[in-house]
Amino acid sequence: MMTASPSVFLLMVNGQVESAQFPEYDDLFCKYCFVYGQDWVPTAGLEEGISQITSKSQDVRQALVWNLPIDVTFKSTNPYGWPQIVLSVYGPDVFGNDVVRGYGAVHVPFSPGRHKRTIPMFVPESTSILQKFTSWFMGRRPEYTDPKVVAQGEGREVTRVRSQGFVTLLFNVVTKDMRKLGYDTGPADTQGVSGPSPPQGFPQ
Amino acid sequence: MAEVHVIGQIIGASGFSESSLFCKWGIHTGAAWKLLSGVQVGQTQVDTPQIGEMAYWSHPIDLHFATKGLQGWPRLHFQVWSQDSFGRCQLAGYGFCHVPSSPGTHQLACPTWRPLGSWQEQLARAFVGGGPQLLHGDTIYSGADRYRLHTAAGGTVHLEISLLLRHFDRYGVEC
Repeated sequence: MMTASPSVFLLMVNGQVESAQFPEYDDLFCKYCFVYGQDWVPTAGLEEGISQITSKSQDVRQALVWNLPIDVTFKSTNPYGWPQIVLSVYGPDVFGNDVVRGYGAVHVPFSPGRHKRTIPMFVPESTSILQKFTSWFMGRRPEYTDPKVVAQGEGREVTRVRSQGFVTLLFNVVTKDMRKLGYDTGPADTQGVSGPSPPQGFPQ
Repeated sequence: MAEVHVIGQIIGASGFSESSLFCKWGIHTGAAWKLLSGVQVGQTQVDTPQIGEMAYWSHPIDLHFATKGLQGWPRLHFQVWSQDSFGRCQLAGYGFCHVPSSPGTHQLACPTWRPLGSWQEQLARAFVGGGPQLLHGDTIYSGADRYRLHTAAGGTVHLEISLLLRHFDRYGVEC
């Protein structure tokens, strides 16, 4: 029996949201979701997740570890709109309300193999000093109505943000039928990543 | 026709003396290239870093080109501006780099420069702000007419760009 030439390719991503570095904040949890173009459809796994609340370790590393698993498979006809993972990190303020501590996004890596990505996290800033004080007092900081805005380029030119932390992610990527459809993703860029590891200070 | 996907992020900028930075970016291609999907120009958010001195934008780039020839390979060009607390913008640097030509993920560090004026203009820039800017944006990525300029170095724009090529081997192109 002759197999027909494929018209879709599959992208399988698994991995974890490993850890975070936020020097000024503690007791954080994170949410992730995937943003993708119109030609992409998730076929298996979870598109969204929420982690546990983690506190900084007592030792000198001051590590914030989540170890939150990611496992999702997409199918698509077109690499345009390649999936991005959007992370939102929340933590309590002085009064106990959960406020946003950072948003960040990164594309799922292209080439098959193991990849480690450390992404910066930023929050929108208040437009005036009075609003800054009011939002601190009321516990309602500026946040995006839909975190998926972070994965888009349009409409960001009017926003002012403050970057205040980093999150480390690990990905394993497997693709199916990309080469049969004529796509060349280049060599795997793993460079000997050794696997989950505790955070070791700020990346430069 | 061969297709090229340019997917990645403008990560941020480092090495600038000002701290609240944003970037206007664009892609310029030759006549043989056609943009099928994606936005070719954009402007990032304004970031004020709390940790370290690198400003982070994390601005996504997702472009799909179809091409009939190798000439005019896409070039990314940037204008980095700083914005102060009053909302005034001042030019911090211009820069460009070619999109990589081999498939895979690449870390790019693009140096920038800004035009110096006369000593009076430099003094005014130190006290009041402002300063000379290019009249024609295409001088950033073309080599013509540069001999008139006197410039100083700015910081570096960092990008992570992944390139996906399709059907290049059908035409015998090696990259």
